Amino acid sequence: MESLRFHARLFALYFAQYVKARLAYRADFATAVLASFLGTAASFSVVLLLFSRFPHLAGWSFPEIVFLYGFSLLPYGLFSVLSANLYEFADRYLVEGRFDRILLRPVSPLFQIFFESFRLESLQEVVTGGAAVAWAVSRLPDLSPLGLALLPLWAVFGAVIYLSVFGILTASSFWIEDRVGLAPPVFNLMAFGRYPITIYDLKVKVLLSTVIPFAFASFYPTTLALKRADFTPYFWAVPAVALLFALLNRALWRRGIARYGSTGS
Amino acid sequence: MSDPAVRVRDLVKTFEVSRKSPGLAGALKGLFRSETTTLTAVDHVSFDLDRGEMVGYIGPNGAGKSTTIKMLTGILTPTSGDVTALGFVPWRDRRAYTKSIGVVFGQRTQLWWDIAVVESFRLLREIYGVSEADYARRMKVFDDLLDVGRLLPQPVRKLSLGERMRCDLAASLLHEPTLLFLDEPTIGLDVVAKANVRSFLKEANKLLSTTVILTTHDLDDIEELCERVVLIDRGQVLWDGSLRGLRDRHLPEARIRFDLNPIPAGDPAELAVGPWRAARLAQGRYQIVVDKREVSTADVLREVVRDLPVLDLAVGEPDIEEVVARIYRENAALRKPDDEALPEGGAPGVVAHRGVRRG
Repeated sequence: MESLRFHARLFALYFAQYVKARLAYRADFATAVLASFLGTAASFSVVLLLFSRFPHLAGWSFPEIVFLYGFSLLPYGLFSVLSANLYEFADRYLVEGRFDRILLRPVSPLFQIFFESFRLESLQEVVTGGAAVAWAVSRLPDLSPLGLALLPLWAVFGAVIYLSVFGILTASSFWIEDRVGLAPPVFNLMAFGRYPITIYDLKVKVLLSTVIPFAFASFYPTTLALKRADFTPYFWAVPAVALLFALLNRALWRRGIARYGSTGS
Repeated sequence: MSDPAVRVRDLVKTFEVSRKSPGLAGALKGLFRSETTTLTAVDHVSFDLDRGEMVGYIGPNGAGKSTTIKMLTGILTPTSGDVTALGFVPWRDRRAYTKSIGVVFGQRTQLWWDIAVVESFRLLREIYGVSEADYARRMKVFDDLLDVGRLLPQPVRKLSLGERMRCDLAASLLHEPTLLFLDEPTIGLDVVAKANVRSFLKEANKLLSTTVILTTHDLDDIEELCERVVLIDRGQVLWDGSLRGLRDRHLPEARIRFDLNPIPAGDPAELAVGPWRAARLAQGRYQIVVDKREVSTADVLREVVRDLPVLDLAVGEPDIEEVVARIYRENAALRKPDDEALPEGGAPGVVAHRGVRRG
């Protein structure tokens, strides 16, 4: 409990520091937010275009699709804000040697890696996603109140799933001397989780639900609110999946750090 | 008696290094089978550090200094051997241990690059749980001794190397560690900055009776700060004792270098000065290497000044790299007992030569 309070305070400080440093260059930050927003708007437009051509694709109405897609931006946005350092971990920490400094501080190394840098402009995705969900809710009269109430919490679980999967991929840098790594192809898979999983064939469904559980991050969390009873068990499995992958991530980092300790690289 | 602050016994660190064959064929071969060689970076190192002691840990590049420091600070896990520091096993109890140590790597800052120095200090205050009162009091001391006050509002990336080092030193002592590791704390600093850093370290060591272990290339750092040096080469401790003793034993030389005006006729390669010979370094510049066990530097100096038209004169001592190179050569010779160069029964490290040496 003490440790939790300590880390929460530290997180707030790290975040405040980052925001302060980032806002020192206002124009740069404004451009980044705009660029990020245009990216989100573009991919959203593709979805809208697609569904203007095929209304009721695989039995999903237009507002439902907006709900799904809007929600998917919440865990994804949170993930984007917090994952800035994962991409550069091998370069900035292992190659340049900053990881030594991380190990010299009495704070969890993983905590420091995740929270030393942020992708602040991605908060825009959370806002945009929230707005899309709000609009969809106004058009969908028959939603489950419990499903709606749990939505924010499930968005956090979703972000934990994303962060853990990419944390696991990043930890591979301790073993594989490859600056690019496995992250980019998996990153592309994230887009799959934003559509109703029912439109895919079985292989993709299995992949997104088990190996790389992105369906648990963005699709299943919406199913309770949308009253898709066939998916309800998956909805309730989301916290367990998040916990499982978070633990897996932590275990892998521990092994990676131990390996760093014995090889120095 | 209290326990030593740090106790190191038979510390060993080996690395597996994959050997790559050259060329495309080699790269292909490496895909299937990688040959590795074992590199011993630290080879059965043992020493104790007493509380409040300030010790220089020296050796040439690649001697194993940094690897040792990384094990003592808990970054690396040793292959074998024991370290007990402040009652902790560094690599096992890392989180608890790092609360009571301070570390400065001269090559790299411990501070956050993009934010103002004072913000870095506030983060560290939070990380180490330093109270507001302690923080204020210590910052006052750092400002008095290191003049960091005016640097606080600036981001680290805008500081000069010397300014950054002062801030790094202050940061490493913010939580009043009982054990301080300094890896090349004066590297790249100008003379004034070096002097500042040294006097601060002396003061901090006296004030807080912090145990300090210092690695450096700069002999002057050691001379000014450390009573004791531990010298390692190829991962092994070659000397543990005073610096004076080390130098006197292995390279008891002084170099007298002087400029002459007018330049001696014919610009000779060698000049006789009493019984000694001076070697020409450049036009009008000569050097005498004095074996201090045979004659006092002052005697030679007197004669140089009396006999020659000296314009300018300087006396130097061999730097640590040279002493180490000498010791290493002797060390290598010792490993080959048949080597005829080794004097029978004589102490290794006897300097037998005089005269021409390149400075």
